[in-house]
Amino acid sequence: MGFDLGRPVRGRVWKFGDSIETDAINPYYRYPTMEELKLHTMEAYRPEFPREVKAGDILVAGRNFGCGSSRPGLVLREVGIAAILAESVARLFLRNSIARAIPIFLAPGIGAIVKDGETLEIDYPAGIVRNPATNAAIGLRKFPPLIEDIFSAGGLPELAYERYLRKNAAHNASGSS
Amino acid sequence: MKPDMSQTVAEKLFSRHNLTGKPVRAGDILEARITGAMMHYHANEPMHDLAVQAGFKDGLPEVWDRDRIYVLLDHHQPTLSQKQADENALIRREVERLGIRCFHDSEPGIAHQMMADYGLMRPGELVVGNDSHTISYGALNCGGVGITRADMLYVLLFGELWFQVPHSIKVVLNGSPRGYPIAKDIILNLAGKYGDDLAGNMSIEYTGSLVPQLSMDSRMCLSAHGVEVGAKLALFPYDEMTREFVQKRTDKAYEPIAADADAYYEKEIVLDVDEMPFVVAKPHQFGNVSPVDEVAGRRIHQAIIGSCANGRFEDIEIAARVLKGRKVAKGMRFLISPASQQVYLQCLKAGLVETLIEAGAQVVTPGCGVCQPKVGFLSDGEACITSTTRNFKGRKGSMNAEIYLAGPLTVAAAALKGEIVHPREVLDGL
Repeated sequence: MGFDLGRPVRGRVWKFGDSIETDAINPYYRYPTMEELKLHTMEAYRPEFPREVKAGDILVAGRNFGCGSSRPGLVLREVGIAAILAESVARLFLRNSIARAIPIFLAPGIGAIVKDGETLEIDYPAGIVRNPATNAAIGLRKFPPLIEDIFSAGGLPELAYERYLRKNAAHNASGSS
Repeated sequence: MKPDMSQTVAEKLFSRHNLTGKPVRAGDILEARITGAMMHYHANEPMHDLAVQAGFKDGLPEVWDRDRIYVLLDHHQPTLSQKQADENALIRREVERLGIRCFHDSEPGIAHQMMADYGLMRPGELVVGNDSHTISYGALNCGGVGITRADMLYVLLFGELWFQVPHSIKVVLNGSPRGYPIAKDIILNLAGKYGDDLAGNMSIEYTGSLVPQLSMDSRMCLSAHGVEVGAKLALFPYDEMTREFVQKRTDKAYEPIAADADAYYEKEIVLDVDEMPFVVAKPHQFGNVSPVDEVAGRRIHQAIIGSCANGRFEDIEIAARVLKGRKVAKGMRFLISPASQQVYLQCLKAGLVETLIEAGAQVVTPGCGVCQPKVGFLSDGEACITSTTRNFKGRKGSMNAEIYLAGPLTVAAAALKGEIVHPREVLDGL
């Protein structure tokens, strides 16, 4: 199942600070199963988060979001986070999110246009994030086509599978001719 | 891009490994040919779980090159739980089935150190690993890049992966060596002054008058810690020391990379190490740095020397020098975990292990455990000073414990005194 970057997202904001690290996002050392992780993600920063987060919420972070070990943020999707917006994202967290088709957007200046608990509207095709309460808006960075293709495929493993099937089909076709 | 345009090391690295063969510049997106792929205890995920999820019913059907994939079970050797033993058994089966030839199964140690010990990565190569500290290979002028487990699945199948060519930052280290390791203090000083994302998504090139005099152990520390300041690559120039190190470990041909004289750098940072204070990173961030004097007197319950940042010979040697003929503080748990069996052996032969055990230190199995909540947990209200890589909340167990990061000399000083002290209190001539 591919992920449609074009689908508009509107949701309530959970705001976090700078250098949010992956031990806190994904504390699998302590909670090895997804069911346990869902009860503890981000509690190092906001103990109420796992309890109160709702499907469709948006996570807004400062600079260097997801620093630390290379760990996917699948648990954030599992608890219902519809999109992540950050001033900047640590490269491995960004790669992890792209490779698993988790919507994450670089939106420098995002912290200045929204308060915790307010609503944001994300329009990726137009490259805009808007706060409907204040009408403040900023641009978000578009991904290059290669990365949009990964989202469309539903992730990099899924893209790898498609490529492998194509390669074998071509191989079989040439073998039989 | 004009062919005559000057390039950084990162630009040359990705140009060399670009599938299209065309030169690239910072910011370009490309698909690169991978030289080598390192997998550790998470190997089962790309080899099996993610493959099944993507549609391969029976797991990965094949690998692109059975000689270019290195599997080392570092974090989970020896196993500390039934679950780890079962995971290792799965990895063993998959390695066998896929015909992967380089498999360090029953040898404890940190994968990155073993990659260096056994000459599995070389200058000028593009080597990926499903671990953030893969960046440490930059010490050998090797393009070591940490990737994700999903990226690794793609690499295993095709030997290719997408990258964005990073911008580069020049970190100029001037000054003289001091007779004890200072690499940790260098990187902590930088993170404290410029922030823990000072090299966010960029390629660090280390240069300056100190660099030729920095030991390979210190270079590996600085390259490993590239990731703690956000870098994609953390590269040292190739020199006589690199040549000697590599040639002792492999006879494979390689081609180092040097930047062009007028290459473009996004930023330049200069640090005079002669003026640099001893520092610690306080809980719970790498960039939360203070001079050691400001936290002197903090009671410490556990001290650790180990990890891919500071678990090498020189890190353990300074601890032995500090502790020789002395005893660690009463009740102090002083854990020393050599980075690999080869490092352990080197320490044994030099008599360091004897000195450390006589002083009351615990020398534990090489591996990543001391840098995670796997070996040496903290209880509520306890404090730990450690030369390992991260001080995030809960990293050593309790969410109500404090972790201070410091260089091995500062750690050894605290182990001796039972509290954080300036190293001048335990080592003459400071």
